[in-house]
Amino acid sequence: MKAFVFFFFHAALIISASAQENFTQAERYQSIVRIEVVSQTPDYQNPWNPGRFSSGIGSGFLIGDNQFLTNAHVVSNARRILITQPGSSRKHPARVVHIAHDCDLALLEVDDFSPFENYIHFKLDGVPPLESTVSAIGYPVGGDRISVTRGVVSRIDFRPYSHSRADSHLVIQIDAAINPGNSGGPVFLGENVVGVAFQGLRSADNTGYMIPTPVIKRFLKDIEDGKYDQYVELGASIFPLYNPAMRKALRLDQNSSGVLVSSVTPESATDGVLEPGDVLLSIDSHPIDQGGKINLDGERLELYEIAERKFAGDQIPITFLREGKSHQKNITLTTIPASRLYAITYGKRPRYYYHAGLVFQPLDLNLYAAKRFNSPRVRKIYQHYMDDGIFKERKDIIVLTQVFDDQITLHASKFKGAVLDSINGTRVSSLKQLSEVIDQSPESEEFLTFEFNGVHQPLVLPREKAKKASAQIMQTYGISKDRYLGN
Amino acid sequence: MKRLFFLISFPLVFLASCEKQIPKSNTQQEDSLAAQSLVRVNATSQGYLPTRPWEKEPPSSRRGLGILLGKNRILTTADIAAKATFISLESANEEKTVPAKTVFVDYECNLAILEPTNTEEPSFLDELVPIQLQKSGVKPRGPVTIWQIESSGLPLKTEGSIQSTDIISTSGTGHYFLTYRVKASMQSASSSYTLPVTQEGKLLGILTSYYNDDQICDVIAPEVIQQFIADTEDAVYDGFPSLGISAATTEDPHFRSWLNLAPEQGGIYITRVVEDSSAGKAGLKKGDVILSIDGNQIDRKGYYQHPHYHRIYWTHLIRGEKSSGDQIQITIKRNDQIIKKQAILARSKKPLIQKDFFASDPSYLIHGGLIFTELSKPYLQGFGKDWESRAPITLLDALANPEDYETDRDRIIILSQIIPTPATVGYDRISNQIVTQVNDISIRHLSDLQAALNEPKESYHVIDIKESPYRIFLDVQESEKANTELIQRGLDQLSRFETRQDETK
Repeated sequence: MKAFVFFFFHAALIISASAQENFTQAERYQSIVRIEVVSQTPDYQNPWNPGRFSSGIGSGFLIGDNQFLTNAHVVSNARRILITQPGSSRKHPARVVHIAHDCDLALLEVDDFSPFENYIHFKLDGVPPLESTVSAIGYPVGGDRISVTRGVVSRIDFRPYSHSRADSHLVIQIDAAINPGNSGGPVFLGENVVGVAFQGLRSADNTGYMIPTPVIKRFLKDIEDGKYDQYVELGASIFPLYNPAMRKALRLDQNSSGVLVSSVTPESATDGVLEPGDVLLSIDSHPIDQGGKINLDGERLELYEIAERKFAGDQIPITFLREGKSHQKNITLTTIPASRLYAITYGKRPRYYYHAGLVFQPLDLNLYAAKRFNSPRVRKIYQHYMDDGIFKERKDIIVLTQVFDDQITLHASKFKGAVLDSINGTRVSSLKQLSEVIDQSPESEEFLTFEFNGVHQPLVLPREKAKKASAQIMQTYGISKDRYLGN
Repeated sequence: MKRLFFLISFPLVFLASCEKQIPKSNTQQEDSLAAQSLVRVNATSQGYLPTRPWEKEPPSSRRGLGILLGKNRILTTADIAAKATFISLESANEEKTVPAKTVFVDYECNLAILEPTNTEEPSFLDELVPIQLQKSGVKPRGPVTIWQIESSGLPLKTEGSIQSTDIISTSGTGHYFLTYRVKASMQSASSSYTLPVTQEGKLLGILTSYYNDDQICDVIAPEVIQQFIADTEDAVYDGFPSLGISAATTEDPHFRSWLNLAPEQGGIYITRVVEDSSAGKAGLKKGDVILSIDGNQIDRKGYYQHPHYHRIYWTHLIRGEKSSGDQIQITIKRNDQIIKKQAILARSKKPLIQKDFFASDPSYLIHGGLIFTELSKPYLQGFGKDWESRAPITLLDALANPEDYETDRDRIIILSQIIPTPATVGYDRISNQIVTQVNDISIRHLSDLQAALNEPKESYHVIDIKESPYRIFLDVQESEKANTELIQRGLDQLSRFETRQDETK
């Protein structure tokens, strides 16, 4: 399923009751802004290159003093952001204050807020009921001026957020026309904001999606401490307990509740607390049914929804059965940074290390999307990186991504696309370590011997000759720098 | 070394009514003798679907040629006999047929010997003249004749000339043998699958494929045919030997100096030694460099100098020059020492993951609705055209790196799918999982699984799989009931175990 992101924007008549009487509709529109962005997309194929510059349009709206809310995807990799009010030609330079790629939201500020001072700050409402009529306001394609479209709330669901390609949260589907440029714009129910328009579905008609206010409120609460921490995870997967034989083997009554813990991510909140084979009975005092669902605000939701509403450091109680005995423990919710390997990274330069015609890059979704990896071994290490705890021993999955032809690399290209295990017998677990092992390889070593995973033959380079050839090959092939190792 | 080839039975493109200009052979009389040895071979084949191994594929049939070697002995390719449900031998003029069976088949070298089902009964074969084999081990040269039969029953000869020899795989099974490459301009005719090639009225080889664009044919070499036939003579077929190693070339100068190989030394670097293979028993190890076999120096690309074939690939020293049971001397370089090792050659054992189901049918076992089967390449190919990206990654990894999986097992047994039954409630989302243990018994083979199912824990079976949820349970009574129901629903056989329809059969 491909969800295509459009930028859209909704106009809202809105407002918190008190302020509203003082403003005309036209004045309220002044708080809905057009955002012009020039962005620089990194080149993961040739990571030393500056990448591609492109420009785009999105929408945003004022929610507080010098606080403009928009989508993360509108301002990702931004090099220049300009904000314009309706009916004005003045462009106000702006910058990103907080950006949350996992829930596609960002908060911007302008250099000089004074022109906006007299306009409304929109207030966030709750989740609108199905069938209620909402309107989306923004700056979609098809004209330069503000646009309003209207539709009903079609569905409230837990869906993927396509910006990061790895996250799913609550979304609201509406049938108002939402088009590129609408992104980041408000969606109103009456006079209150009930969501931020953010993506659509190209394969279906009249399906626009907005980020509902619980997600927005969580984002705003997360940044209260001055930084965005991302969503927390339980780190446990579950398997439904519908099978009678399985229930019997686990000493469960046929009708009792609880779901099987099928795997636990190492170093996650539940690591050391839960084990595969445990039966999870309740979470945060909500009983869990055989399918892993809980009752939350009158809705039947996945138990993961508990973590959706919490923050790093929050403690929640869980109860579970192990070998027939009941246990109660508290878990401290944490983020799982290593799992961002499966999400697109924004706003960072691609890391790489070059030596003697060989280019090494850490595998992540950006690289995975930019290159084709045919080797089953590479794909397996990537897919099992979290589940099998590979991340504990490999901070980076280092892949030999390119081999530039030269006398020194004449027979090296057959190793292209393989995962590096070690150099001269030293296991290499991060790109930084790789650079150190090569840079500091002692004079006494005659060779650099690279061992790759699943390849039963080493790649051998004469150390001294390789070092000498390195700069020349860089120059020949236009590689400007030999490394970017991150900060 | 994968090559695309067309089987010659595919239509060749021709201009209509071209005059058949067959160069006059100076051995015309001998050639007409060869025509009297030709037989049409018609085979219907039908295997089982690798993804649903209880069901058969739609049958398909092939028409090819065979050649009479002796009384009631017909030589043809293994391809044509693979998965055969019915074989008949037919006279050139299509007037007489006699049912036949496979007596010896070797899918590795792609040869088979057929005989009439009832050898006692007289048949049209008695009127044919057996052909003699061309001498092998001589320098291949000169013109050859490729035989086809026109629908009229008349022999159709195409003259060709031997261009080169190479070690290639003609059967698609990935086994490499000496092959002659013959330049000839072929046309399509009936029964064009598998064509005898003669020289001076004697059988030189069997044509297996024809490259339309280059007008080049692959012909199984006389050595291979002779060794195959010699092996069949004592009724026990031993097969072609294999050393049991994977090796890499050593032409990379940096790699060579790392290995400390002198410029005059060639050598191939052993990347893998199959356990229990000839090489494994002889004490060869990963990292050894093979310098020579039986005194034949192997160069850095893996070739050696053959008295007749010039540079050919080292595997011919094993598979071509030797038979199972022969001993060879291998000179290796290990840690700067030159060591000589003796290896007794034997046929390779079946690999962990089968590449085809020519020699055996896919095995499976259904219990309570869980479908267990052995992982094979045809199974993975069942995921469609893009199987290399669509099939489950763990299974693809096993196919690419079997050495990482073979310590715990002889076959990879997978829980491939789940049939919804009362016993499998809640398991719908499990598929394509490698099975490690059942009822605490390690599963090395499908027969272990069957044995393990006789020893349930209390009232349920415990099935351990390699990935989440790692362990599932199956009620003993419910699964028996489900088995009965599945049989009633038309699955008349709930299991099939590996039956080697061996070459010795």
